[in-house]
Amino acid sequence: MSLWHVAWNYLWNRKLTTAMTIISVALGVALISAVLTLREQTQKRFEEEGQAFDLVVGAKGNPLQLVLSTVYFLDAPTGNMSRADFEEIAKLEDVEAAFPLGMGDTFKGYRIIGTDRALMDFTWGDRRPYELEEGVYFGKAYEAVIGAAVAQDTGLRVGSSFISTHGFVDMPGAHAHEDKPYTVVGVMRRSGTPNDRAIFCSMESVWDAHDHGDAEAEEEHGHEHDGEGDHDHDHAHDHGGADAEITAGLVKLASPALRFEYKDRINKQYNVMAAVPVNEIQKLYEQLLGTAKAVLLAIGYLVVVISSMSILIGLYMAILQRRRDLAVMRALGATRGEIFGAVLIEAFWVTVLGIGVGWLLGAVVCYGLGMYLVAKLGFHVSAVALGPDIITAYSAVLLMGLVAGILPAWQAYRTDIARDLAEL
Amino acid sequence: MVTMEGVRRTLGPGVAFQCDAFHAAPGDRVALWGPSGCGKSTMLNLISGLLRPHGGQIRVDGVDITGLSGSRLDAFRGERYGFIFQTFNLLAPFTTLQNVVLGMRFADVVPEKEWKTRATAMLERVRLGHRLHSRPGTLSVGERQRVAIARALVNRPKLIVADEPTGSLDPKTAESVMALLLELCAEEGVTLLLVTHDRAIAERLPQMHDCTDLVKETVS
Repeated sequence: MSLWHVAWNYLWNRKLTTAMTIISVALGVALISAVLTLREQTQKRFEEEGQAFDLVVGAKGNPLQLVLSTVYFLDAPTGNMSRADFEEIAKLEDVEAAFPLGMGDTFKGYRIIGTDRALMDFTWGDRRPYELEEGVYFGKAYEAVIGAAVAQDTGLRVGSSFISTHGFVDMPGAHAHEDKPYTVVGVMRRSGTPNDRAIFCSMESVWDAHDHGDAEAEEEHGHEHDGEGDHDHDHAHDHGGADAEITAGLVKLASPALRFEYKDRINKQYNVMAAVPVNEIQKLYEQLLGTAKAVLLAIGYLVVVISSMSILIGLYMAILQRRRDLAVMRALGATRGEIFGAVLIEAFWVTVLGIGVGWLLGAVVCYGLGMYLVAKLGFHVSAVALGPDIITAYSAVLLMGLVAGILPAWQAYRTDIARDLAEL
Repeated sequence: MVTMEGVRRTLGPGVAFQCDAFHAAPGDRVALWGPSGCGKSTMLNLISGLLRPHGGQIRVDGVDITGLSGSRLDAFRGERYGFIFQTFNLLAPFTTLQNVVLGMRFADVVPEKEWKTRATAMLERVRLGHRLHSRPGTLSVGERQRVAIARALVNRPKLIVADEPTGSLDPKTAESVMALLLELCAEEGVTLLLVTHDRAIAERLPQMHDCTDLVKETVS
């Protein structure tokens, strides 16, 4: 019978107290675990998606807004840029591929993105983010390829038709292009990327839908909108000719090492803004989400510190009640070191079980929030990932638990056998 | 087996334990008899090394235990002694078998592979073979003391120290426990020092040491 067994029996003998202490440790660990897992996983996924293209170019404004709107389809675009500028950029010597994007309409909140047919063939690494599950890619105007989440959520299938509405949010009263319905010709395979939540069509479809010659559309364009619904200047306009405009462009360079060189060059030479997606996301995480993470982590560690106090108090009280048992063990030949070790092992058990339960709770929370992220961002995040930050955090919690066990263990170590056998 | 010479221990202001001479030979079964507060339990604690004397010498199995360090004394106690207490002092979270095994686990004198078989055999000798997996709380007081006897004897110690082992038992149970204890000590050839305030119990042992005058007032 090992000291581990002895310690376990004593914990089991006071199940309720032990369970309460384990739960209190677990709550802190779950919070820490969820914050770190979601932070690590979302950043990883954001960065992975951000790696697909080296640069995005668009109207001057906030570079993060440009990246969020074009790579993740999350924010309103910064405005429009000249198609001529885009085509010049596409011809620069180190540009391997460049794809225009035209936005302005949605269907049930899902963005309709006009682009070149060539984007659908784009791959990076072993990823095929535009791969079809069924049907074909768009060709003619008003043919659309929809993401897997769009198909699942809206019930659209190959052959279905839908009417787009103006703006980037699905709001009542938004202008609907009822005379220009889209036909679904393809459904994309689920990729776990923002593409799952997008509807792709040709640039011509977007331009035509916003044909300023259309009396109805002209009327709509004549007034201002607020917020994300604002479409006064943030979508591709009907300028298929020399003065054509697009919302933004995605650029793939010959090497990622050229990103900053080309970003600076484009910003200087053209009346557009270039941004490096990964760089903008890292800044977002460091500046904004970094603070949120620090606050949540501080709360998590505070909970763990309080839990450590409950380990300390719980064990201390248990040792006081168990003085006679400790004295008997000493009388049976147990050394002071063995008594100290047995109590410290109890703290270890409680902390390790707290970490285990907390990890499970955290995984459940991450799974729930992961479902939300899939719906909101199209990202799949792993609920059970064990990154270096999490392992460090668990080690810190374990250390705190053991430190909390030292005082009761010391109390047990100092057992006065004769007094405790006589007094109690 | 046990020798005390000029052993002194201050118990409080103006009060001290004083034992000028005590001797028990190997295999002796000695009752340390006296009224409550006379110092007989203090004597037992001193012999057990649970209390350190402030003067004099205590030799157990040829070893001067007053000169042993704390860790050496822990090991010595585990090897040579078996303890039986008035309130049994079984460990509640463990079964009877585990309680007896713990006696071997801490004493560290029996190879681990023998723990279970030896503990089982010992419990069978005290007629508790059918209660191996019972918790102390489910046993009668007589059964608990028999478990304590099994735990004390399982390491085959040289010396059994028993502090009022029948103090918590009814007369009938006390009689059977005493009979069992004496029988086993005789079989094992182990020295028994038994503290009791009960003259009838004391007289059941072959030898009796009167502890009446062990605690004395001292002149400061």
